[in-house]
Amino acid sequence: MSFWEYLGNRHQQLLTDGFQHASAVFQCMVLATLIGVLLAVATYRSEWAGNLATTTTATILTVPSLALLGLLIPVVGLGVAPTVIALTLYGLLPIVRNAIVGLRGVDPTLVDAANGIGMSRLTRLVRVELPLAWPPILTGIRVSTQMLMGIAAIAAYASGPGLGNLIFRGIASLGSANALNQVLAGTLGIVILALLFDAAYILIGRLTIPRGIRA
Amino acid sequence: MSAPGQPSSTGSTAVGAETEQGAAKNGAAQPERTPGDLVAPESVRARLTWPRLLVIPGLVAIALLLLWLWFRGAQLDDVARNSLADGNVWVRTRQHIEMTAISTFFVLIIAIPLGIALTRRRLRPATPVVVAVANLGQAIPALGLLMLLVIWLGIGQRSAIIGMVIYAVLPVLANTIAGLRGIDPQLTEAARGMGMSPIAVLTRVELPLAVPLILAGVRNALVLNVGTATLATFGGGGGLGDLIADGITNQRMPILVLGSMLTVALALLIDWLGSLAELLLRPRGLETVEGKS
Repeated sequence: MSFWEYLGNRHQQLLTDGFQHASAVFQCMVLATLIGVLLAVATYRSEWAGNLATTTTATILTVPSLALLGLLIPVVGLGVAPTVIALTLYGLLPIVRNAIVGLRGVDPTLVDAANGIGMSRLTRLVRVELPLAWPPILTGIRVSTQMLMGIAAIAAYASGPGLGNLIFRGIASLGSANALNQVLAGTLGIVILALLFDAAYILIGRLTIPRGIRA
Repeated sequence: MSAPGQPSSTGSTAVGAETEQGAAKNGAAQPERTPGDLVAPESVRARLTWPRLLVIPGLVAIALLLLWLWFRGAQLDDVARNSLADGNVWVRTRQHIEMTAISTFFVLIIAIPLGIALTRRRLRPATPVVVAVANLGQAIPALGLLMLLVIWLGIGQRSAIIGMVIYAVLPVLANTIAGLRGIDPQLTEAARGMGMSPIAVLTRVELPLAVPLILAGVRNALVLNVGTATLATFGGGGGLGDLIADGITNQRMPILVLGSMLTVALALLIDWLGSLAELLLRPRGLETVEGKS
């Protein structure tokens, strides 16, 4: 069976897997962005806390995803739970890092100006600091998403959802006619999803980055 | 601020974004160095090094000790014992280290010369294309790449190592190019003006200045490779992933935890070695500035 025939025959299954993959990554990214930005807002003002947050996140990033899944499984079992926790955790890391760097990079004179016109801390954060720090945060989100696409594939080994299942099914039937088709479909599907997400982020960047600081 | 050096991989991306920001910040906030900086390095260095030198190995040692104590008391049945037979743990650990070392070696001898070549005047037009390809390549999942190579080249360590090399070359290449391109053109011009040959400009000015970014790339390659090596097990390549996969498929938690903890410990130690190299191999002249940022 050629690859195109395979795609034609199995498109229903492929679309379901692809959709589950995208939806898992998307939901975990939303969660990771919320938690990540909150963590950054809570820590960036203190040098000590901010540095601790960046060092910790950098350290966790070095942990191989299969090993993290392996440590989560005895605690939360197989399936969706370890997948969601692992994806959210990895997704957090670049966002926290970039958000802290971005928030610290805001020109102090602008913060002074915001204080000077009587903005409260919250208003200043929402109307001045976060919009100015948004480009690096968005970069962090893009990076995270790309990374999560690959990690989600691995999470299929812990019975997670998505296109990784195709890859593992293919490799389990190594030597059969469909092995290559399955692995190829899974891999290409993830590449396509990653590129689609990336394009979406570029669009979001166009729409949401304040006009004054656009490059 | 659409970055041309669009963050490319796990570590490097976050780092990439940071250096980009850091560079912008340095440019704005420290236009000139104060004489005080010349006195600072020793203390800055000590403050940076000691925690880094001790915290991670200390934590890893404690974790491994606890793991050992726990594992001694764990209930093992035949299936679990089978996973450990014939010194399997040590064999897998060694395989893992071997795969990481070999692939990192090839990554370095491919990516660094290629990065140097691509920043020479004659090949410079090709650089954006390569950077774009490198970024695009990051969209390929490591698992898929490895498994495609296994189908193509057969199961075993060789396919895994080739996959690891392909996967890690791109970020190191991107880092090398960014490091060489980020050098102040005035410096290279001054070097040329002093009558240095192109080789001398490269070896005595450009490469030393690019060392921090290149070393960051090396560390990044090591970390990526340790992680990708865990996936070798799915293509019959061995490594610590074997223990994790065994633990998951056979539902034997002690094996799963043992494999995972050893992998985590190995990854942290290798990253630690990378950070040590970054600290020790960095040219002296760059210490002050780097230490401050």
